[in-house]
Amino acid sequence: MMTNNNEFLGYLRPDGQLGIRNHVAIVYTTHCSLVVAQRLQALFPEGTQIFGYPGGCALREGPLNKIVALGKHSQYAAALVVGLGCEGTDAYMVADAIAQSNKPVEAIKINECGGDIETIRAGSRILVEMLQHASQVERATMTPADLIVGQECGGSDATSGLASNPITGFAADLLIEAGGTYMHSEVNELLGCAEILAERAVNPQVAAEIRAAIEEAERESFGSGRFSWGYGNILGGLTSIEEKSYGCLAKSGTKPLQGILRQYGRPPGKGYYVQIGEPGSGTFHGDPEGINQFAACGAHIAYFTTGCGSTTGGLIPVIKIIANPQRAQLIADNADLDATPVIRGEQTIQQMGEALYAETLAVAAGKRTKSEIYRHYEA
Amino acid sequence: MPDEPNRAILLHPHDNVATALANLQAGESLSVSLDGVHAHVTLRQDIAFGHKFALCDIPEGAEVLKYGMPIGKALEHVVAGDWVHVHNCRSHRWGFHNDQYGVQA
Repeated sequence: MMTNNNEFLGYLRPDGQLGIRNHVAIVYTTHCSLVVAQRLQALFPEGTQIFGYPGGCALREGPLNKIVALGKHSQYAAALVVGLGCEGTDAYMVADAIAQSNKPVEAIKINECGGDIETIRAGSRILVEMLQHASQVERATMTPADLIVGQECGGSDATSGLASNPITGFAADLLIEAGGTYMHSEVNELLGCAEILAERAVNPQVAAEIRAAIEEAERESFGSGRFSWGYGNILGGLTSIEEKSYGCLAKSGTKPLQGILRQYGRPPGKGYYVQIGEPGSGTFHGDPEGINQFAACGAHIAYFTTGCGSTTGGLIPVIKIIANPQRAQLIADNADLDATPVIRGEQTIQQMGEALYAETLAVAAGKRTKSEIYRHYEA
Repeated sequence: MPDEPNRAILLHPHDNVATALANLQAGESLSVSLDGVHAHVTLRQDIAFGHKFALCDIPEGAEVLKYGMPIGKALEHVVAGDWVHVHNCRSHRWGFHNDQYGVQA
């Protein structure tokens, strides 16, 4: 439900965060506890999501920080941590860290419970309580200023730079004008954009940081002998690496760059950020990893622009934007915003950007995205 | 919504190129507009979907602007309606003096 003032009802968490969804998290701390966690999730599919750290046998800071940040996310009313018992990423340690957000958190270990069956029995009883708790949490009024949105591109084609990315940039500007927060990542696709973003930085320190981040990506690109501009791009009409990068940069909108997010947790302020993430923190691959890193930075919603037509989702609601007219059925089944009217010349980027912003507010107010309906909760 | 669909898109009012939204034919006359800026050209070559054409003459060495930003420099004098691509425009930072530019990606 949304009122005329763009207000909607969210979920108030004990640490003051406001969420737009209300799940219980099941967190596995190593590949050895993955199957038990999956069985628990299968018993209670409605209202639970699962994520974790398959490599948790060893304790590494990046992935640990990521799953803790996800556990603290505003869309989780409670979290159950499932461990084996001998892994470095200790389940009690993970639970204690998530519990700093003051939400109900419990941890169980397969070794202590005594195998699959006893762990599933113990975990089930905890989940029943947590799901009941979730159904009773306090609601609170939210506005667009409370929202954090991330942007990911995947399976890009010519329509990404011409329509989908500029549309998300336009919606980002509207969100930021309403007081909200927006982030994207993929600095390695911004070769040649360092000075442009540095000029948008709010202070010299942020300017230096974004310059350094993009220059590092440029060095890596040259060092590996690989440019992200190739024969297919030339056939498609892209004349230079700058042209390709600007098509990507179009997703950033036009607002001042507030900072670079190299750590998980919510951004320090509002407005536009570039998200980079903690080194070696990837626990999944490709686009879902990107979407979930936004979630680990507090994002409520992800925009996902895809030209070829990926069906990818993630832990947070994904608004999928496709502008390739040759993907009509995929758009009908999987997209949340059909951006082909821009490519057909029937609507402007501004008009579709306004439509995306309206869709964003509808999703924040409870409208389920296709990724949610299909349970594309990749993690 | 316009009366008939646009055949090309202007992405920024300062741009001196537009991008084809369909496979366009040499000799075709078309208009693009954005934020009060209008341009009308007759195409001098075929322009494939996703490729660019000049909206005005672009002198040799001048910047080619798309998204309001320089995507490269003109290698030669480009005439309004010309196809603009690697044969007459090169990366400003990478490859302007490289004869193999765009030949081998």
